[in-house]
Amino acid sequence: MRDSAWAAAFPGFLLPRGVAEILLKDEKSAILGRDNREAMTAIEIKNLVKSFGAVKAVDDVSFRVEAGSVTGFLGPNGAGKTTTLRSLLGLVTPDSGEALVNGRPYTSLSEPLTEVGAVLEATSFHPGRTARNHLRIMCTAAGLPAERVDDALGQVGLADAANKRVGGFSLGMRQRLALASALLGRPKVYILDEPANGLDPAGIEWLRGFLRHLAYDEGAAVLVSSHVLSEVEQTVDNVVIIARGRLVRQGSLSELTSNGGEAVRVRSAKAADLAPALEAAGAQVELVDDGTLRVRGLDAEAIGQVALDRRVVLTEVTQERSDLQKVFLDLTEGR
Amino acid sequence: MIKLVKAELQKLFTTRLWWILLLVMLLLVGVFLAIFIAVAGIENNGASFPGRDTPEWAQMVWASGVQMGWIMVMVLGVVMMTSEYRYQTITGTLLTTPRRAQVVAGKLITGLVVGALFALALLVFQAIVVIPTVLISGGELDLSASHIPQISVGILVSMALYALFGIGLGALVRNQVAGIVIAVVWTYIVEPILSGIPVLQVVGKWLPGGAASALMNIDIDTGLGRPDLLPAWGGALILVAYGLLFAAVASATTVRRDIT
Ligand SMILES: Nc1ncnc2c1ncn2[C@@H]1O[C@H](COP(=O)(O)OP(=O)(O)OP(=O)(O)O)[C@@H](O)[C@H]1O
Ligand SMILES: [Mg+2]
Repeated sequence: MRDSAWAAAFPGFLLPRGVAEILLKDEKSAILGRDNREAMTAIEIKNLVKSFGAVKAVDDVSFRVEAGSVTGFLGPNGAGKTTTLRSLLGLVTPDSGEALVNGRPYTSLSEPLTEVGAVLEATSFHPGRTARNHLRIMCTAAGLPAERVDDALGQVGLADAANKRVGGFSLGMRQRLALASALLGRPKVYILDEPANGLDPAGIEWLRGFLRHLAYDEGAAVLVSSHVLSEVEQTVDNVVIIARGRLVRQGSLSELTSNGGEAVRVRSAKAADLAPALEAAGAQVELVDDGTLRVRGLDAEAIGQVALDRRVVLTEVTQERSDLQKVFLDLTEGR
Repeated sequence: MIKLVKAELQKLFTTRLWWILLLVMLLLVGVFLAIFIAVAGIENNGASFPGRDTPEWAQMVWASGVQMGWIMVMVLGVVMMTSEYRYQTITGTLLTTPRRAQVVAGKLITGLVVGALFALALLVFQAIVVIPTVLISGGELDLSASHIPQISVGILVSMALYALFGIGLGALVRNQVAGIVIAVVWTYIVEPILSGIPVLQVVGKWLPGGAASALMNIDIDTGLGRPDLLPAWGGALILVAYGLLFAAVASATTVRRDIT
């Protein structure tokens, strides 16, 4: 049911899924898959299940991320985000289900850094190694040209710290270095686990812009996890929310936040007089307390007009936005 | 695979551990050599230590440093593997090369290379000290009587393999401190006891250290009688078998594990 709602919201998603299934049935799917990489879904998780002992870390999660979009992967602590992303990257072997990048398991990619850039939580570096050496080693192992190292360091603003030992880096600098390592291969798919951790407000702002740049200017598919909705709400197009290993909700950000409709808070000494007039003008009015009304169905200007006609003095008119963090909490706790 | 070996060598040479271990190895070997030079030719209760001009002395000193070499390269191998877990760099390594068997193979080959490089450093150091000493003492460097070529081959092969053993051990225990302690206790205490005390040599000759001694054909009376060793070819076979065993352990413990 959830699935069909998703499909109805994004009818365009039906086509690639059909294409992918035909391709997968074909014996030559590996070759076709490569040639048709543009047409493949960038990230696809299908019925993923993973337990650690008695803990079901991920329980039947499915979603997909298309090129040119940013998807926020949200859930409270311990929801299973990291486990899902690590399964996607071949670091954790799922009990069942599939996690595919460009239509294939990560472990079967022959040049993974050129297809996928990943930043993982708890990615660490040898404290005695310099930032440049760390990236150089990755370039060597991946067969990438060594010039990429300085390009990537420049992109994340670490050019000046290139020859410093990572042991002396701040958390935010480490996070930037991790991001630099994801950029080395100039991939078109990014998988980022809480990349904003440890960044200062300016750093978070920079990261937002950078992710948008990757998705909209370079056409990359970006999957970014967070346990704070407000951290990603300005960046993401789509959200996937999980809690306790289970998928709670997925859809576009606007779809998620528009439920309930917009309300306007109105305060006035004569609130009781104003209410019937607003109702007559077509609004649904809720009396919050003596002097406060919550009005739906009329915008602030129309409400002001009604008040003017009735010669009622308003002491406050506030647009009530649906509090995203509250929506998120309701969704993850209410299960 | 060449890319991976190059990357592993970069990992090693961009951190400080390798030269610390190399320095410690040469320092300790230097101490041994000094002792051997000092006690040469001294008589004690009728038994006399060979003189500096004899091939027996040359053989004895030439083989004296290898045990230190084993300890250092095995520790180096342990650290090559365990530091990936200790600092979580294993994540980046496996993201770059998701086929884990290749990562393990790259590390094992690098271990062999680095073990052999350490052995070369040891041999050069011994040559610099021992050859002038023999010549100054009026002796002649008799290569065949002193077994120096065969001992050298044994040092090279056994040290290369001990580095590989360290990688296998590191993959098995993953904890860096535990791995280092096991490696040192094994090479410094357990093996010397089992291959040094005659009644225990039935066991000792089958261990890597005993097999390596057989390969080097060390035939020295340590005062406890001549050692009970396998033939040289048997020692070589046993060593290679241990190499394969540790390689299998390293890949079996790495290929399936969840990296969380
Ligand atoms: N290696 C492991 N062994 C045992 N349990 C684990 C392991 N890794 C994760 N878990 C459990 O799986 C569940 C999901 O953990 P996961 O790290 O995926 O959550 P998360 O959504 O990333 O949380 P956070 O926001 O705190 O990073 C948790 O209950 C966690 O305790
Ligand atoms: Mg996590």
